[in-house]
Amino acid sequence: MLEVYGEKFTNRLLLGSAQYPSPAILSESIKQSQSQIVTVSLRRESGGDLAGQAFWQIIQDLKLKVLPNTAGCYTVKEAVTTAHMAREVFNTDWIKLEVIGEEDTLQPNVFELVEAAKVLVEDGFKVFPYTTDDLIVADKLLQTGCEVLMPWGAPIGSGRGLNNPYALKTMRSHFPDTPLIVDAGIGVPSHAAQAMEMGFDAVLLNTAVAGAGDPVAMAKAFNLAIEAGLLAYEADPIDARDMAEPSTPMMGKAFLS
Amino acid sequence: MKIYLNGVETTVDHTKLEAVLIQLGYQEVTIATAINGDFVPLSLRKNTQINEGDKLEVLAPMQGG
Amino acid sequence: MSMKVNIVGAGVAGLSLAWQLVQQGVEVEMFERGARVGEKACSWFAGGMLAPWCEAENAEPVVLEYGKESLAWWQNALGESFVDAKGTLVFAQQRDKKELKRFARRTQAYEVVGHDVISSLEPDLASQYQEALFFKDEAHLDPRKALIRLTEVVQALGVKINFEQEVEPEDLLPEKVVDCRGYNAAKTVQSLRPVKGEMLLVKTNEISLSRPVRLLHPRIPLYVVPRDDQHFMIGATMIENGHGHQFSVRSMLELLGSAYALHPSFAEAEIIEMGVDLRPAFIDNLPRVERDNNIWRINGLYRHGYLLAPYMAKLAADSIISDTHEIEKLADFKIKEDRA
Ligand SMILES: Cc1cc2nc3c(=O)[nH]c(=O)nc-3n(C[C@H](O)[C@H](O)[C@H](O)COP(=O)(O)OP(=O)(O)OC[C@H]3O[C@@H](n4cnc5c(N)ncnc54)[C@H](O)[C@@H]3O)c2cc1C
Repeated sequence: MLEVYGEKFTNRLLLGSAQYPSPAILSESIKQSQSQIVTVSLRRESGGDLAGQAFWQIIQDLKLKVLPNTAGCYTVKEAVTTAHMAREVFNTDWIKLEVIGEEDTLQPNVFELVEAAKVLVEDGFKVFPYTTDDLIVADKLLQTGCEVLMPWGAPIGSGRGLNNPYALKTMRSHFPDTPLIVDAGIGVPSHAAQAMEMGFDAVLLNTAVAGAGDPVAMAKAFNLAIEAGLLAYEADPIDARDMAEPSTPMMGKAFLS
Repeated sequence: MKIYLNGVETTVDHTKLEAVLIQLGYQEVTIATAINGDFVPLSLRKNTQINEGDKLEVLAPMQGG
Repeated sequence: MSMKVNIVGAGVAGLSLAWQLVQQGVEVEMFERGARVGEKACSWFAGGMLAPWCEAENAEPVVLEYGKESLAWWQNALGESFVDAKGTLVFAQQRDKKELKRFARRTQAYEVVGHDVISSLEPDLASQYQEALFFKDEAHLDPRKALIRLTEVVQALGVKINFEQEVEPEDLLPEKVVDCRGYNAAKTVQSLRPVKGEMLLVKTNEISLSRPVRLLHPRIPLYVVPRDDQHFMIGATMIENGHGHQFSVRSMLELLGSAYALHPSFAEAEIIEMGVDLRPAFIDNLPRVERDNNIWRINGLYRHGYLLAPYMAKLAADSIISDTHEIEKLADFKIKEDRA
């Protein structure tokens, strides 16, 4: 069971809602992924067209927990204002806090991130910070009152998988009791399985499903991989060795030479 | 009076946010508002003053990752 | 047999249907709010690509299946010279090479061509690109010339077009009515959503192209379609939250940036026009023909106006003439397929 901010979920895939070939494929992909938490965003809406309302209806019909983000925010002020607007629109105090530092890598600006997290926690938000694998930043975020951390696998949308498994492992063992969700950079289901085998609590992804040739099938594949990874972690995998170790027992073997 | 609605110069006849939103066609819809970068919650829309040249942002749900 | 049908809206959907109906001896009268054809139509801003194989990269398979028929339809309706059947060339910049591979994996009916073929097809691009995908069966037309021509053709066949007449389809009952109002029908068709598109028309003598070229890019895929008189259509953005009719600075930067990346000579081009409109789309991005008693509706052509209007016109005409309520619903195979 994934438990974050006092809420429990049986599924450990958090899925983004952007970039699908059509809203119908978005909806079906989310269903097939079995995901119970879907990320959403806010954009300008003009009075004449009210385009966002149709999208919102699709998401509401799925009856899932929504996790609004502050994508595209570069400063504390922008992120905080966006979070407040999201709280009102989506009627939730959950917020995926993204404060971006630089356009090419979309790397989080961890200084502004910690600052924004502090403000938002004080304002009663349940903050899901998108951060790097830096332990000190992670610690500062926890000190502000975040109860979950979302370290990156690789830059957003890059599909590179877990760029620094060593750092992620260290983070896992450094914060054994904090829910840790790998966010961003996942390309294929094996990346997600790897994160789960390392003991992460969940995986958040978007492009890997939305950009696949068949997003619906890929959503299903990710669900299976995450389940497999979790099961493997719980089963306590063996350690890698340098030398072979026969898997067939040697005892009682006949001498035939 | 002229204001900037989502960055676009727009003429409105009212001076309170709620009335302006109705005039601009945002009725019974899921939106959130900010004026000059500051969030204005639903409960304050009725009495929030809009002034010439204000930057009004109206946001709605959108796809996101 | 004498049957009369009213069509509201003279965009690509309305005009294709008018042509289809008069072919079968139906009397047609059209109502268009604009003063001339195209003035207020999304169809005016289209690229005019008949590119079903390229579109299949992320469209439902029916788009390919029915889109393939559009080339012959347009040649038949307008005359062969109105359609350029020269194929499409798809490129990617060196650093986006993976995009070309991905595009190739997800499409069919192309040839991977090298420098020699590129030189003979589009000499001006030969110095920039070593590799491309050539979709030789695709075509394009100038959507503006096509709309004007189709208007003349149907008028010559006896269709009466009333310009500057904004009407509601219900006003024309009890006669048969077809609602072809494009995104303007969203007031009554709530499930329509707008997908905003921005396009540019530029002019330059520095480069010549004979066919549409696409430049793949992870964020901003671009196409350039040559038009008469050294004009080029550069398109197009796809903005889901399509609001307003303003051209944003970001879109302008991205479109021009990619055009310049496609070939530096676009830096010297003159900007002739900036166009913006809202593509009408349903939830699966597939068009629909619907019927509600004596009102039919063709809508949701999304980014496939010229590609799919012919097929939708046939579907609608069949239903009107044979007075049937059973109309094919274009299936979303990618979703309905059994995934058990
Ligand atoms: C930038 C851009 C690029 C595109 N590129 C392509 C492409 O390369 N290939 C392709 O196939 N498609 C393309 N499309 C999509 C294509 O343009 C649309 O799918 C198509 O134009 C929709 O046609 P329509 O006839 O349904 O709507 P419209 O063209 O909008 O026609 C509707 C007509 O109805 C009239 N009308 C509306 N309300 C009323 C009323 N109440 N009374 C009377 N008249 C009324 C309007 O004035 C208009 O003339 C592109 C679109 C855009 C925006």
